[in-house]
Amino acid sequence: MDLFIIFISAAIVNNFVLSLFLGICPFLGVSNKTSSALSMGMAVTFVMVLTAIVSWILYFLILIPFKLEFLQIPSFILVIASLVQFVEMVIKKVSQPLYRALGIFLPLITTNCAILGLALLLSMREYSLIQSIIFGLGAGAGFTLALFIMAGIREELELTDVPKPFRGVPISLITAGLLALAFMGFAGMI
Amino acid sequence: MKKNKSLGYEYIKGLWEINPVFKQVLGMCPALAVTVSVMNGLAMGLATTFVLVFSSLLISSIRKFIPNQVRIAAFIVVIATFVTIADLVMKAKFPELSKALGPFVPLIVVNCLILGRQEAFSSKNNPLRSLMDALGNGTGFLIALVVMGGIREMIGSRTLLDYPILPAGFEPWLIMILPAGAFLTLGLLMGLANFYVDKKKRNQQQELIAKYRKPSTTLEIKGEEA
Amino acid sequence: MKIVIHMITTLTLIGVIVGGLLSEINDWASPLIAANQKAETEKAIFLVQPEGKSYETIPKTGIEIYRVYGADKNLVGYSMVSVGNGFQGKVKIMTGLSKDLSEINIIEILEQVETPGLGTKITEEPFKDQFKGLQTTPQVNWVKGKVPEQPNEIQTITGATISSKSVVTIINSGLAQARNLKERGVL
Repeated sequence: MDLFIIFISAAIVNNFVLSLFLGICPFLGVSNKTSSALSMGMAVTFVMVLTAIVSWILYFLILIPFKLEFLQIPSFILVIASLVQFVEMVIKKVSQPLYRALGIFLPLITTNCAILGLALLLSMREYSLIQSIIFGLGAGAGFTLALFIMAGIREELELTDVPKPFRGVPISLITAGLLALAFMGFAGMI
Repeated sequence: MKKNKSLGYEYIKGLWEINPVFKQVLGMCPALAVTVSVMNGLAMGLATTFVLVFSSLLISSIRKFIPNQVRIAAFIVVIATFVTIADLVMKAKFPELSKALGPFVPLIVVNCLILGRQEAFSSKNNPLRSLMDALGNGTGFLIALVVMGGIREMIGSRTLLDYPILPAGFEPWLIMILPAGAFLTLGLLMGLANFYVDKKKRNQQQELIAKYRKPSTTLEIKGEEA
Repeated sequence: MKIVIHMITTLTLIGVIVGGLLSEINDWASPLIAANQKAETEKAIFLVQPEGKSYETIPKTGIEIYRVYGADKNLVGYSMVSVGNGFQGKVKIMTGLSKDLSEINIIEILEQVETPGLGTKITEEPFKDQFKGLQTTPQVNWVKGKVPEQPNEIQTITGATISSKSVVTIINSGLAQARNLKERGVL
């Protein structure tokens, strides 16, 4: 039950993009096509789950016992960067089609604040390993959902007559605002 | 190529011409997340400027020693260090602010504005120039955050810097301090900024055309498709 | 090969310098941070026990709980810190309890990351004031959308039911532990 709440909370109620503002850059930058939004979302989810596992081990089994909490930020960011590199290499070796689908999104993930945000939040909330994995999964699902909905809306937006000063980023932000309002409706769920 | 521009220009350009939030659309996460009040915006802006200035100074001083292949890794480590310093100093000296900003101080490390300035400017220019550039961009970011914080605090909680400024009869718009309000405020502000830029551009064009036309002809210029 | 060595040495050098610098700054900052936290806790201890003049940490309890003494060194009650999950993250509450744990004096929210404007109302007076003089037997209860009738009930905040409920749950779990300690005579 507890795990289920963590999942739903990360995916919908406290959606990473729409209520915690993590991962706004890819949200505004990439989400032009639903298909690429889905691939990006999948790549992020995959890296998020791995990050959750690795950063949990790093923080609770290495940094805390050795009283090195002040190295948290540099070590997390380095781990994430090398993890992304590693994942890219493995995917390239193992599956060419998968690499073609996800490959170009992977380098972008390093500077995606949602990943670092995930690592920091799970250490702040002192989740257990299982909880962290579920949290990563939920956050990834929520990111994918937000990106996918946004991409769908933007496909339609291209055909509409938006006032000129609002074309591009401003109208995306306003759309995101309305989406965030809609997501607030889930607040009573848990 | 940039060497002929004055130091002052490197500073001034960050304020508006390439304002990080409104023009480069960088560093959106903190711009949206922490701006529920002027104070938070100010603190976040100052912390970011601190990290930006020192990272730029350091990176531009050692730029010739960093091999090209590992430059991003080196940049990130340097940035992460200054972020940790900022975080520790805030916790030690300003515990209230550190609490208000929560996990967003550590997240400065992935603020694309900082990495972006290192990649685009500091790794190619001397320390003095990089310092001016960093100060300018930092100030531009600070201004954007304070403006957003001001608008959201004023309408969302009826106060400015915790002083009630709107009459008590004004029912605060709760939505302004909720996540949705952040997106809407920034969207509208950016739209407004674009509107003024367009208008200025149109006026300039009109003047230019008027100069080369005979004064007797009346002109009618429609919106220029840029 | 030469490039690889250059790469590795540069990164190692940066790493070493950065690590050293950070540990220096950490050495400077950590006592200050600890002092800040202590000052804050002390302030909260007396905030929830207004008659308190001095306090004492109770060791070996497994929770953070303090004995608070009045002007003439008599026990006025206990200040207890309890932590739990709210709507978005950790909520940390300081509760002032009477000597026999049957009544709450005052509560203070030490830490929370609830939704601004909704969940954050748990830190505001109208909500916190409900706990003044609240009975704790058998436990604290909440009611939604109506005025509380029992002396151990509080009303949840509209739009922030989950945050309000978590405050009650956190206080109750702290109370259960405190009662347990009382029975064992540790308090």
